[in-house]
Amino acid sequence: MGSGMSGKAPWRVGVLFSQTGVTAVIERSQLNGTLLAIEEINEAGGVQGREIEPIICDPASDLTLYGQQAEWLLRQDGVNVIFGCYMSSARKEVLPVVERRNGLLFYPTLYEGFEYSANCIYGGAAPNQNSVPLASYLMENFGKRFFFVGSDYIYPRESNRVMRNIVRQGRGEVVGEHYLPLDAEAAEFEPIVQEILRTKPDVIFSTVVGSGTIHFYQVYKAAGADPTRVPIGSLTTNEAEVAEMGADVACGHITAAPYFRNLDNPENRTFLQRYEKRFGSTTHVTSGCEAAYDQAHMFARALAEVGSTDTERLRGALVGAEFQAPQGLIRIDPDNNHTYLHSRIARVNAEGEFEVVRAVARAIKPDPYLVFPALNDWSMWLQASGSS
Amino acid sequence: MTSNIIKDIRALRALVVHPHDAHAEELLKQVRRIGCHAEAVWPPPKALPAYADMVFLEISENIPDRIMRLLDDDWTRRPTLIGVAGYENPSVLQGVLDMKVEAVLTKPLKAYGVLTSMVMARRIWHDLRAKDRALQKVKEKLRSNQTISQAKFILMRLHGIDEDEAYKTIRSQAMTKRTTTAEIAQAIINADGILGNISSKKSHSND
Repeated sequence: MGSGMSGKAPWRVGVLFSQTGVTAVIERSQLNGTLLAIEEINEAGGVQGREIEPIICDPASDLTLYGQQAEWLLRQDGVNVIFGCYMSSARKEVLPVVERRNGLLFYPTLYEGFEYSANCIYGGAAPNQNSVPLASYLMENFGKRFFFVGSDYIYPRESNRVMRNIVRQGRGEVVGEHYLPLDAEAAEFEPIVQEILRTKPDVIFSTVVGSGTIHFYQVYKAAGADPTRVPIGSLTTNEAEVAEMGADVACGHITAAPYFRNLDNPENRTFLQRYEKRFGSTTHVTSGCEAAYDQAHMFARALAEVGSTDTERLRGALVGAEFQAPQGLIRIDPDNNHTYLHSRIARVNAEGEFEVVRAVARAIKPDPYLVFPALNDWSMWLQASGSS
Repeated sequence: MTSNIIKDIRALRALVVHPHDAHAEELLKQVRRIGCHAEAVWPPPKALPAYADMVFLEISENIPDRIMRLLDDDWTRRPTLIGVAGYENPSVLQGVLDMKVEAVLTKPLKAYGVLTSMVMARRIWHDLRAKDRALQKVKEKLRSNQTISQAKFILMRLHGIDEDEAYKTIRSQAMTKRTTTAEIAQAIINADGILGNISSKKSHSND
């Protein structure tokens, strides 16, 4: 592509998503989102006549590799910007490296909040944008007895802390709480599912991530549980995972996210058409993929504005910037480098598609330091949802 | 108590007393990002505003009087103090001790760690006050026990009763007069002092 641009040196950027290992399914979708945006930009003539050249690494879901590869990327000639990371623990490996070299990390993933780095643009949801609306929806529609299952690392534990606060305020209770290793096998979910059947919660809140997600939902189905009555609510279970576990397994379960693949708007239609043309199918389009796509486009616009990958200059153009994304209009919050995002709750139907059952009309301001979500936070949100 | 420290952190109102520079700017932004109401003031005001629950103070190697004057001598009336220090040398550290701050942030200021320092400072601040209140209570209790013992001995001597009866007398008086046993005991001691003086003068004049 772009033979006319071959004379000029490209803008080189690092791309750091795992293509192998436990979080590969979701991270590959984020990699694809990033690459699709970069290719769109290049096909449209690049930025100031120069192509964006991605240097792609595969940290293989191995935490130490994230740090090492980030270091390696930033030592490459001209690389100052990295798109990458899914798990918080991976971001915590990469961020010190990026800060030391004063680079810029685009992080297109929901996480547990309580962080601000001038060297990071956060493109995924903070708990006030997804946990709080999900908790209110589940309590309102299914009941107040919650069962928590999560992968054993920082994000699930902090998400459950937030969730527990909201459940308690709504006079609900948490009747069980379990954490499993990231590489947990199907058999490890069996005793937990048995306990769920025994304790009969009204709803399950899952923060299981990676390949364990598929095992968990499959074991739940195999045990004869009825997701239409007692669903699993999640912030991470996405289209790619639903495709892997099968529509019969996923049907009835619930996810809260800023984006779902079947949203009907011009930006999303175009996005999906291009994605399908490039990757053959849209099966693996997720909210993480969409966030990655949005961030790469927002980076390119900032780059076109300042003509440099210098962190200070890019950041100056990025904060406050808006983008008409497939999820709707989003904006980078100048107060905290996080992103105003939409909040949607969807339920998987019999065809394995997410059907949005509740949404807000406008993007929600990120509040990464939400210590204690108040009951009225989400009742306000409920009112807002009525209008959309 | 400790869980409330985190829960209540965003209800704090903070004041940054630091020259207007990039550090103060970064600190102010992060405290606001955390969700606290925060203002900055420089030069130091004549007195700390009453609303300030938490004050960030610049600590230099030579702390100006106008900063020291801000700090109430009665430490129980002070807000939570967090020092902002640029050096780790003994002069600055002496300032950290002299100002009795609950936590210290170091420059160059980073967003990371500000929340942790606020939480730590708050815990120490609450702990010191709780321990001080407990200590005052113990002191008070000790004083009243001494008073009551003294009063009991007076009653035992004057009325030839035992310690138990003496105490019952004090207690029933306290109940009738709707006051504390310690106050009745003090009244007995005062009365004995006066009567003792009079009787001793009498006996003296009779001699």
